[in-house]
Amino acid sequence: MSELIDQVAAALPEWLPTQRWFGGKDREITAVRPLASTTILEGDPLLVHLVVEVEQDDRSESYQLLIGRRDEQVPDVPASASIPGTDGLVYEASGDADLTCQLLDLIAGGESIGDLRFESEPGAELDTGLRGHPISSEQSNTSLVYGSQYILKLFRKLTPGTNKDLLLHRALREVGSEHMADPLGSISGRLGDDVVTFGMLQRFMPDAADGWVMATTSVRDFMADTSGLPPEELGGDFAGEAYRLGRAVADVHADLARALGTEEADATQLEQTVEAMLQRLDRVVGDVPDLAQHTDGLAAAFRAVSDVPTPITVQPVHGDLHLGQVLRTLQGWLLLDFEGEPAASSAERAALRSPLRDVAGMLRSFDYAAQQLLVGLPEDEEQSERAAAWADRNRSAFCDGYAKAAGHDPRDSAVLLRAFELDKAVYEVSYEHANRRDWLVVPLTSITRLMTEGS
Amino acid sequence: MSERNEHGQSHEDVAPDHALVGLEDTPHTGEAVEPDGTFVEPHSEDFAHAEQAPENPEWFKRAVFYEVLVRAFADSDGDGTGDLRGLADKLDYLEWLGVDCLWLPPFYASPLRDGGYDISDFRAVLPEFGTVDDFVHLLEEAHSRGIRVITDLVLNHTSDAHPWFQASRQDPDGPYGDFYVWSDDDSAYSDARIIFVDTESSNWTYDPVRGQFYWHRFFSHQPDLNFENPAVREAMLDVLRFWLEIGIDGFRLDAVPYLFEEEGTNCENLPRTHEYLKEVRATVDREFPGRVLLAEANQWPADVVEYFGDPEVGGDECHMAFHFPLMPRIFMAVRRESRFPISEILAQTPAIPDGTQWGIFLRNHDELTLEMVTDDERDYMYREYAKDPRMKANIGIRRRLAPLLENDRNQLELFTAMLLSLPGSPVLYYGDEIGMGDNIWLGDRDAVRTPMQWSPDRNAGFSRSDPGRVYLPPIMDPTYGYEAINVEAQQGSDASLLNWTRRMIAVRREHPAFAEGEFVDLGGSNPSVLAYERIWRRPDGELDVVLCINNLSRFPQPVELNLGEHQGRVPVELTGRVRFPRIGELPYLLTLPGHGFYWFQLVESDDDGERRSMA
Repeated sequence: MSELIDQVAAALPEWLPTQRWFGGKDREITAVRPLASTTILEGDPLLVHLVVEVEQDDRSESYQLLIGRRDEQVPDVPASASIPGTDGLVYEASGDADLTCQLLDLIAGGESIGDLRFESEPGAELDTGLRGHPISSEQSNTSLVYGSQYILKLFRKLTPGTNKDLLLHRALREVGSEHMADPLGSISGRLGDDVVTFGMLQRFMPDAADGWVMATTSVRDFMADTSGLPPEELGGDFAGEAYRLGRAVADVHADLARALGTEEADATQLEQTVEAMLQRLDRVVGDVPDLAQHTDGLAAAFRAVSDVPTPITVQPVHGDLHLGQVLRTLQGWLLLDFEGEPAASSAERAALRSPLRDVAGMLRSFDYAAQQLLVGLPEDEEQSERAAAWADRNRSAFCDGYAKAAGHDPRDSAVLLRAFELDKAVYEVSYEHANRRDWLVVPLTSITRLMTEGS
Repeated sequence: MSERNEHGQSHEDVAPDHALVGLEDTPHTGEAVEPDGTFVEPHSEDFAHAEQAPENPEWFKRAVFYEVLVRAFADSDGDGTGDLRGLADKLDYLEWLGVDCLWLPPFYASPLRDGGYDISDFRAVLPEFGTVDDFVHLLEEAHSRGIRVITDLVLNHTSDAHPWFQASRQDPDGPYGDFYVWSDDDSAYSDARIIFVDTESSNWTYDPVRGQFYWHRFFSHQPDLNFENPAVREAMLDVLRFWLEIGIDGFRLDAVPYLFEEEGTNCENLPRTHEYLKEVRATVDREFPGRVLLAEANQWPADVVEYFGDPEVGGDECHMAFHFPLMPRIFMAVRRESRFPISEILAQTPAIPDGTQWGIFLRNHDELTLEMVTDDERDYMYREYAKDPRMKANIGIRRRLAPLLENDRNQLELFTAMLLSLPGSPVLYYGDEIGMGDNIWLGDRDAVRTPMQWSPDRNAGFSRSDPGRVYLPPIMDPTYGYEAINVEAQQGSDASLLNWTRRMIAVRREHPAFAEGEFVDLGGSNPSVLAYERIWRRPDGELDVVLCINNLSRFPQPVELNLGEHQGRVPVELTGRVRFPRIGELPYLLTLPGHGFYWFQLVESDDDGERRSMA
């Protein structure tokens, strides 16, 4: 057993960077150390839960893996799951439905194995014997869907303490929020001296479509139209959905405030926020020369926040809200993934944020949805204007819906909202510069527009 | 000598049937009066009775209905107006098409101020359509082809020309004095909405003859009957008996939510209304088993299901009801390229009792009904489908299916495929099977009531009369005119919309799952694709599973369907019997062309995909 673990650990520095969910692709892996292993299924096939510490120079992060080994039958998993350099068939087993069916049954049974605790949430009645299949759209985690009923999210990068996603879902359930998928169970254990959440089981919504797909369907229809009519005159108008989405987001903010309380941020904290935004700007301008022309304007927009009257109400928020994080179900909109920005540190993720951060995130997302069809095409002013018209209409509708439910209009906090949106756009510039140069035009266009509007 | 009213008429001056037009030579209500003041009315014994169609108490659950306007279908006597004999002459065509039941809007005696829904004698046929004997002939001919016939019956009100109303206004103390809802002022039932907002300002109208106000939920020339009066309730049951004895297969009960009034309510869907419908149903079941009642209740599904009655006994009010909100949402879903408008309304539709069925439609003789959409959605529909203001009427849009869809064959097929596969018995509107157009320059609702286009001959083959005599000009524009669009040409072309529609009706008939199967919305991550299963347990215990996948977008779409439950089965495409790859554990990937659709049967993999209907 320990021999297997050692072999796997030795193979991981090569293998980890090939996995989509691995968050440390920017640097060489200097060492991988097994922290804990738990055998979930003995014999052949074998299933081991493994936690490793990945060291990349001075950075060290913990990751969760499911290791499978088969002697007889070849598992039905993609080749990329197989871990080379090991004896026999050893592979990352989250895609092996024969093995992962154990996880749901263990949660339903409330079992413990070693330090691993499988628990269902109070009142949850779970069907067992279902097989789980990974969904393909996941980025930083791995989620398994069991029989169209449940979804088990396995957190890949581990942070000590109960996961924020689980905490916020539980809090929302406590206050009866209508805009989230019920949490049904969890897998937890230990990471050194701390508790850690390995997985969260939720109700799966087979009738749902995500907000990005919904919005881009409308954009597709609008951009293909040759009549030149504005978005409100065309069949695919999305404003009704954007409005309802705004209401849902405001409801969730109210639910989170009710469940977990709010705090007041004073001038010092506000100054820290300004400082953080300016620092990010500095960093990104250094990397992306295209941004330089906007430096002064951006800095002024961030500094203007210092003059916003304090205190400002802050509270737990979603933290990484965009159209891909919301689901349209037959009953309305749901919010998903309350983990916060994947790249943020756990301290940043845990910090209380202004709900305007989420609003800003969604506004940015409408811009992305509007412009995505133009990426990689020669510049076409007319099409750009049409994209902007679509974005304007839906950004307004979203804010209208938010204002209706919240009782206050986010656009009334113009200085903060604008700064948060620009800060997000600066982050996007850095992300697109590093990952998708084609897309750099999207945040840059938005920044140009916001700067023009603001001046 | 009775007292004179302000028009200088006395009760004795005016025969109760004076307002009936053209019925002098035919039996009609009020032609004679009994000594106690009650009218002699025609009895079914005065006429021949048609042989019944083959017995099958639940025939309506699987039937394909065809709404046909007698006036518009075929003219047998050359007077320019379609008639019952003309319709009977075209039954071979309807049998060929695959129609199971005709729905005829009212053909009763009427001053025709509301398309015949203003009935002036329930027991006489509108003279230009023929006679009761002609109707018996139609029934005979239809039944011999296995086609049933239902018609509208307006329970709620009559025309003000009806002898009952004439007697009621003139003689408040006579046998008909209490047949209508009279009041000294117009203040009662003020919570009831006004339905025809364009033409009516109140639900009360003053009658100078009687010197009182009468209640009407629709036009002021359509006084509401007083269902509080037991004599009215019995008189309307007798009207039903009259036609059922002659052999009709059922009624579409028009405007049922409004029968009773009650202060402090909106006077819709009241418990007493349901009570009366139960009485009607019990009478039909007892005296005429196998005949159906179809409710026209333009209400939300949750309210409409009340008209099916008690689910414990399989329903004890109407056998069928129209699902009104579904139709505008089908249009909306395709324009938005999103399944949600359809999926949502079906998710909000409660289960219905065992012995009942929805009626669903894309278009009918009225406007595209927008009563059952929210204000938001109504604005949207106006923008989308009524770019010309003349296309608006009341709160609907008067277009036919083909022009609504810009004559796009792919969309016509997609819409028809959904009509034939969504839960409920489909109701086709005459002419839509060949893609007929409309004429929005005709007044009122006539845009969609032009003559059926049979051939490129004079008057579209509808009538041999002088073209100037035809009740409405046939469509003559280059796209939809009868020279381009007609039955004769389309029957001769295998690729025509008509032949395509006929084949789809035939496929539907082979699989009772389409009619009676449980509806399961498959959802899925692509919002532009509406996919659902219809699952029906065959008498031998095996499952007949039909899978319908519709691309609501004009662009090609991929879809991954979770068909895990059917692992190992093979989808067999129903129009060409082509076998698709076996369903495995992982999501099933399909691609659809713009506005494309598939109908599959999911067969066991060792099954060779033979037809598995065997009802």
